[in-house]
Amino acid sequence: MVTKLDETELKRLESQVEHGGGGAWEYLCLVRKLKIRRSDKVLKHGLLILNDPKKRSSIGDEEWTLYEQVAIAAMDCNSLDTARDCINVLSKKFPESKRVGRLEAMLLEAKGCWEEAENAYSSLLEDNPLDQVVHKRKVAMAKAEGDLLKAIECLSKYLKVFMADNDAWRELAEIYVSLQMYKQAAFCYEELILAQPTVPVYHLAYADVLYTLGGLENIQTAKKYYAATIDFTGGKNTRALYGVCLCTAAIGQLAKGRNKDDKEGELHTLAAKVLEKDYKYRAPDKLPLLTSTLKTLKLSS
Amino acid sequence: MAEDLVLDTTIRDWVLIPLSVVMVLIGILRYFVSKLIRTFQNPDGKIVKEGQVVIRARNLRSSADFIPPKSFRARRTYYSNEENGILHVPKGQAPNPQAQMFSDPNMAMDMMKKNLSMIIPQTLTFAFVNFFFSGFVAAKIPFPLTQRFRSMLQNGIDLSTVDVSYVSSRSWYFLNLFGLRGLFSLILGEENAMDDTQRMMQMGGFGFDPSKSLGAEKDSLDIVQHDWVLPKFEQRAEAVLRKLAK
Amino acid sequence: MAADGISVQKLNGDFNAPFINAENMQNNMKVINYSRTLMSIVGGIIAGILGFTGLTGFIFYFVVMAVTSVGLAAKAKFSIHSYFEGWNRVLLDGFLAGLMSFVLFWTFAYDIVHIF
Repeated sequence: MVTKLDETELKRLESQVEHGGGGAWEYLCLVRKLKIRRSDKVLKHGLLILNDPKKRSSIGDEEWTLYEQVAIAAMDCNSLDTARDCINVLSKKFPESKRVGRLEAMLLEAKGCWEEAENAYSSLLEDNPLDQVVHKRKVAMAKAEGDLLKAIECLSKYLKVFMADNDAWRELAEIYVSLQMYKQAAFCYEELILAQPTVPVYHLAYADVLYTLGGLENIQTAKKYYAATIDFTGGKNTRALYGVCLCTAAIGQLAKGRNKDDKEGELHTLAAKVLEKDYKYRAPDKLPLLTSTLKTLKLSS
Repeated sequence: MAEDLVLDTTIRDWVLIPLSVVMVLIGILRYFVSKLIRTFQNPDGKIVKEGQVVIRARNLRSSADFIPPKSFRARRTYYSNEENGILHVPKGQAPNPQAQMFSDPNMAMDMMKKNLSMIIPQTLTFAFVNFFFSGFVAAKIPFPLTQRFRSMLQNGIDLSTVDVSYVSSRSWYFLNLFGLRGLFSLILGEENAMDDTQRMMQMGGFGFDPSKSLGAEKDSLDIVQHDWVLPKFEQRAEAVLRKLAK
Repeated sequence: MAADGISVQKLNGDFNAPFINAENMQNNMKVINYSRTLMSIVGGIIAGILGFTGLTGFIFYFVVMAVTSVGLAAKAKFSIHSYFEGWNRVLLDGFLAGLMSFVLFWTFAYDIVHIF
């Protein structure tokens, strides 16, 4: 989790490092600790440290961690030769290490030798079936190959054991959405909401999926989740505001034949008002578009 | 009761202060040694899975109200039905921790290491204190106590006429043992917070039994009342928007 | 005096009143324990140097703890419920654990300054 404090610290260090003010090592440590992706910068500054024997020896044993970090960043930036060099150094220092083996397999993957990488990962898994990183690499590889079904299969296998891993659930949900398997995606988003009930992103995504699924009940539920998103974000989420309007319109259409005893709140009119205000303030030239859209929605409701 | 004792200042310089410093240093040393010999072992797949199941079930229980009733019911069945719910542990299959320990030498080894890291320094420190500092009246606690505390505070001095608030060096060692815990948690970080007394308590009921926590989780899941809170959010959202629209 | 106990930075509290963010909560509890322990050690040394004996010392401990609690509450801007589970946690957590440290350091300082 990246807290606000970490973020400001990171920004400060980043600008300092960019302007040649030193502190590169602290910056790299922070990037590693927060697990964020700044591959280009890691590669640039990490190499500067590694190529300078004096700086390298000043960090002591952490040198090897840095080699690993730079190797991964290099693969991310597609400078495979650099990665190769780093891994060579590491494997000379730690022969037979599983962690280096993982890097080797990742290098194969980066080169695009899917089959060899697959074999390497499988043998790593045989040694340690609980290696989360390898499991995730396999999923990523399946995705890179474009074989989404296989990615789903790998992910479900992984989630059967590590079923409290939110990131994996989220990945699975997104894959399902891209395959238009909305029911399954809805399940994943429910799981995410259960794990972190105060994160508006999940509520929003869940509502999107429900709205797409259609059907009166689902759309009514979707509207509630859009409302929750509005509540959590303080009404600043445009997508949720639109969602409420669309849901109300759809509910009006679907429930036309039926008795209209259920009272419609004024949520959608309020949402429309806020939308209009927002557009007036931030994108006045698009305001006519919005008003016409809202008009069509209101006509049908 | 005897009148005030006069304590020699050399006792302060050569017993009280060194003893306290030694206790602090040994505590720090022990922390680093235990850090060194702590082994990283690959956890058993089944135990990992059970831990994750418990986390997920706990999530379901604590935030059940955020998902629609239908989804909640489906999940509850999935967790706790009598045939193959993942929280359901068939009777008689729950592993006996005692048996588990004998079948797995690694576990016994681990236990022994933990014990050793606790007992050996303790005995050594005690022997050390006994050897160098025994038999002194080292300190006086600034508040009166009853006779019952005599055996606790004047360990090593067999005089019944000395006021109870005087502390022998050996008892000063015990006071340090318990009182320095706070200091350690300050200088060594929170990890050290799990101290000896807690560890000793764990020894009694040692052996974490996952099937028990699974069963407990199942029971509490069974009695969860599902009350969907989302409808309330429409009103809350309305309130938020009304404020914005103004 | 209260200020040095709570100079540790604190995460933002829970961001919505009825829902509790367990991680932040734990962090807040850690801050409480940390300041309690620190205050009891510092308080013990002060009590020893000033030469309190008997009941006075214990009253001093209560006062120190009360000051700590007020300091913590002030740090939480007196909206206790958005940072902690309730007043109980702020007032009582770490009270007994701190007593042991307090007695030790009290005795230590008192002996060094006054007895010898």
